[in-house]
Order: sequence, then C-alpha cells, then structure tokens
Amino acid sequence: MPYRKMPPQVLRLVLLTVGVVVCYLLAKGILTPQSFDEYGHYRGSALQEVASQTPVYAGQQACAECHAKALEVVAKFEHKTVSCESCHGVNQPHIENPDVKTTRLTDSHCVRCHERNPARPGWLKQVASKEHYHGQRCAECHTPHQPNEI
Amino acid sequence: MRTHFTRRNALHGLMGALGGVFTLSAARAAKAAVQKVFVSTQAPKGYDPTQHKWLMALDIEQCIGCGLCVEACKTENHVPKGSSYFRTWIERYIIKRPRPGSSEARGETLVDSPNGGMDGFPPALVPREEILKSFFVPKLCNLCAHSPCVQACPVGATFDTPDGVVLVDPNYCIGCGFCIQACPYGCRFMNPETKTAEKCTLCYHRITRGLKPACVEVCPTEARIFGDLKNPVADDPIQKFIEKNKLQSLKPHLGTEPRVMYAGMDKEVR
Repeated sequence: MPYRKMPPQVLRLVLLTVGVVVCYLLAKGILTPQSFDEYGHYRGSALQEVASQTPVYAGQQACAECHAKALEVVAKFEHKTVSCESCHGVNQPHIENPDVKTTRLTDSHCVRCHERNPARPGWLKQVASKEHYHGQRCAECHTPHQPNEI
Repeated sequence: MRTHFTRRNALHGLMGALGGVFTLSAARAAKAAVQKVFVSTQAPKGYDPTQHKWLMALDIEQCIGCGLCVEACKTENHVPKGSSYFRTWIERYIIKRPRPGSSEARGETLVDSPNGGMDGFPPALVPREEILKSFFVPKLCNLCAHSPCVQACPVGATFDTPDGVVLVDPNYCIGCGFCIQACPYGCRFMNPETKTAEKCTLCYHRITRGLKPACVEVCPTEARIFGDLKNPVADDPIQKFIEKNKLQSLKPHLGTEPRVMYAGMDKEVR
C-alpha cells in the first residue's frame, strides 16, 4: 500500500481531540480532592473533618473516675438508667477544673420527667405538682440518688 | 496595533501554560504531603470507619417526653436556637376516641411538637376523656440504606459512610436545599449561619472517640439504644433490643430502607 499523507483536516481533528482529552485529565487531576474515592464517591477527609468537632458532654465514664461511690449508690436504685449529665448538665468544665460546679438542680428539673401527662407511659411515677405537697421542695422528702427512699 | 501570531509565539505560550499547570499540581501534592505530616487535626487517631457499623434504635414505650435529648443535641452540636432547627426532636401523638356511634376503632390523630419537645409538653390538647391513647415518638435521621437525600444532592456533598452514618460535607455543600426537600422524614434543615444543610451525624465526633451520642447519653429511660453491629460487646444493648422486640421502621413503603428501628410503634406514626 503506497504511503499516503494524512489529510490536514484529519490531523487537526486528531490533535484537537488529544488536546481536549489532555485538558480534561489535567483538570480532573487538579480539581479532584486527594481523598476522593477513599471510601466512596465523596471526599474521604470529610469524615475526619466532621469527627474533629470537640465533644461537649463528657460521658458517664469521666464522672466515674472521681465519683465512683456516688455512681454505685445510684446503680442500686430506680434512677440507675439516668446518667449524671441528664440532671447535672454538661460536665466538661467541671472535669477540667473541679472548682467549677455543675448546674444546681431545681424542682423544675424533677417535674420535667415526673409531671403527670397522659402521653407518659404508665410505668413512670408521675405527680400533679400543683396537688402533690404544693409549695414544698421535692428534695425535702425525696433523695434524687435514692428515689425509693422517702 | 499589529499582532504577532507566529508559530514560535504560540508554542511559547502553550509551553508556559503547560508548565504552569504542572507546577500548580506539583505544589498541591507537596502541600498535601506537608499537611499530612505537620498539621495535626482534632480528629481521633486510629479510627477506621470500615471496622464499625453504628445503629440507633428507639423504644417508644420508654420515651417519657422529657426533651433532655433535644436539649443535649442542641448543646452538643451547636444547633441554632429557634423552633425550626432540630437534629432530633420529640413528637407527641394523641389518638382520640372515635365519635360515639361511629363504627371506627380509633378517632382522629393529633401530632404536636412544641419547640421540638425541648421545653416539655403542655398537659394535653384535648380533654383526658377524649384520648384513646397518647405517646411520644423521638425522631432523628433514619440512616436510610437508600437515602433520597444522598441521591438528590447535585454536588455529592452528602454521602453514606462505611460505618453507617449519613454525613454532610459542609465544605462542598452549596446550600441548594434539594436534600431538605428530598428527605421524607424532615430530618434536615438549612443552617442560617453557615447556609449549608445540616442533619443528625449520630454525634460522629463522639462515636469515633468511643463516647455515646449526646442524646443517648442523657436519655434517662434508655429509650434510645445505640451500638456497633460489627463489634458487639458483652450484654450488647442493641443486640438484646433487636432480639427482644418486634421492630418497625418509619414509612417503609417509600423503599428508603431506614436502618433506625422503632419498637412499640403504632400504625398512626409516620
């Protein structure tokens, strides 16, 4: 077969195609984040970024380091499923500096769970706070860590 | 003015552009390498997302509607104040007695969630005698296996992680709000400060550190059960919960296959 020179319009088309493909690959290489496709069709480092947020609630474990005795007492009574931070609030500042006291509890916190409400399940002890020794503080009769004892 | 469009000039320009592109990409690679070595992030080290599968289940019988979880979620995740921004919230269902003489088994269903249940619930919307039954339903992201929000996102800013959480990449979110419309459970909102979509992350920053999500931590009645399906511990609460209860998911007819499970759910719950 005799040698035939490639027609110039075809050559231009081939060069253009190669140019477009090279540009596409370069743009893809530059614009795709390094961790893309690490776990799936998204930026893998986004997981670490979300995880780098600082926790606010310290967790029961941190409380047990100093207050193991109090936790033992609570574990024997009906409030055993209630964690420290449910009532005492965010404990992180207190853990970093024990002089910073946790939130002081008021009666409004007790009735948050124990106020009578038809939507509350039957197993939960409920009171109508306006009728049940109105005017007295809850802690005058009840001990929050040992709620069975009056 | 005359322009000098010669082959030499064109080639020079092309070489310059190519050189610039290569230098740019080389600089980027070098920056990433340096960052990996010198810049330490707050992210917990040694956490491998492929080795976990987190799950939350909810026990409606146990929920007392105290709203501690809603408050804790707002505090933990710095969720904006205001009654339209919640990553988790509590709904109260009131199912009324059927009208006397009607042949129906149950009457009208009322649902309310004043401020997401954060400040508790007023005694009742209807007189006690009219209530057939009433209960609380805690709501959060349902962690769908086929998430409509992930499919709707036009920029791939939201995704299913290998450890079973649906997350939003705030750096990639363009704030178009398609995912908010797509979620059939209403679990997403637009953060008014960052103008990006936000949702429950299962407290991803806590679970990667071995802590429980904030709502699970403060729930006083163990109505929220949380665990790792890939690493069951002794007496695993979530395994026990799955074995013991008949479980349902929300809106199963949509085919989203929510992974969050509810025990003790009535047919009115949507």
